[in-house]
Amino acid sequence: MRLSLKLTVVVATLAVTAIAASLVSAGATNDASPRRYVVEIQNFKFRPATLSIRPGDTVTWINRDIAPHTATKESNAWDTGNLIKDQSNEIAFSSPGTTSYFCRYHPNMRGGITVSAK
Amino acid sequence: MTKEEHQWLTQNAGAAVVVLLHLREAVPHTSNQKRTDRMLKKTLFAAVAALAMTSSASWAQSPAGLNDLEIAHVAYTADLIDIRYAHLALAISKDPKVHEFARTMIRDHEAVNEQALALLAKLKAQPQDNFLSRQLNEDADKLVAEMSKLSGKAFDQRYTENELGYHQAVNALVGEAFIPNIENADVKALFEQAFVIFKAHETQAAATAKAVLQRQSMKQ
Repeated sequence: MRLSLKLTVVVATLAVTAIAASLVSAGATNDASPRRYVVEIQNFKFRPATLSIRPGDTVTWINRDIAPHTATKESNAWDTGNLIKDQSNEIAFSSPGTTSYFCRYHPNMRGGITVSAK
Repeated sequence: MTKEEHQWLTQNAGAAVVVLLHLREAVPHTSNQKRTDRMLKKTLFAAVAALAMTSSASWAQSPAGLNDLEIAHVAYTADLIDIRYAHLALAISKDPKVHEFARTMIRDHEAVNEQALALLAKLKAQPQDNFLSRQLNEDADKLVAEMSKLSGKAFDQRYTENELGYHQAVNALVGEAFIPNIENADVKALFEQAFVIFKAHETQAAATAKAVLQRQSMKQ
């Protein structure tokens, strides 16, 4: 009986360890993978107006307005190009830093993206 | 002002706007256009109110009385007029900021008209010509003739200040006379989306007009 009890405890411990290891492994994979974010352009506003993302993440802008828009970095380093209604374009961000952007056609429309490894 | 007077004025705000457009054309352009506009608006609304109290004139021709297809025709006409002004600016102005603004007007108003035509096709309807569309076109013809004779900073100032006044007047018409009276839900939804665009244009026109004036005063 003692042998049977010991065997049960060993098997249970091994099983719990295996399950825990698989959970940790799965969590580590999801945490490291690049993410995709969506900014909707609606009623002449970028929604959300500000985003915090990590290096390697991608942002997609979708225009829901009748009027064409762009999402353009202040220095013109990146630009979605002309987006007509329901058209989208994406930009991948690799370098840390904070970026302000605007619509070239409607300069009052402004947004910001912060890229941070944390 | 009594409740009835206020209600009448609200319903006929569009007609008052048309008269305002005429008066803006008649009053010589001044360097203090903002003050002139404020005085004009106060005078205009007081005059319209006084006339309503004493006159038995028919107010059947009111923007608030237009049906959905007539309203669509007015909006389409107003878009085409602003596109026309913008093409004139591209042809005459040498200012890159004026060109940027004009290209945005063309881009946005063409997009609105494209949506309007698509909606009318879906509804299997034709826009209906009316007194207000005809009046807008007559006024536009006169203004184009006037602006075509201008050049340099005189043109830039006239164009940008007219853009501000034009969008202010059209927005008052759309917001106060049209949207509350449109019956078809799809037409109303389109106008509400277009209204957002026109209000953004009004803000942009104000900024562009101010920038033109500032550049001109710096050069003097």
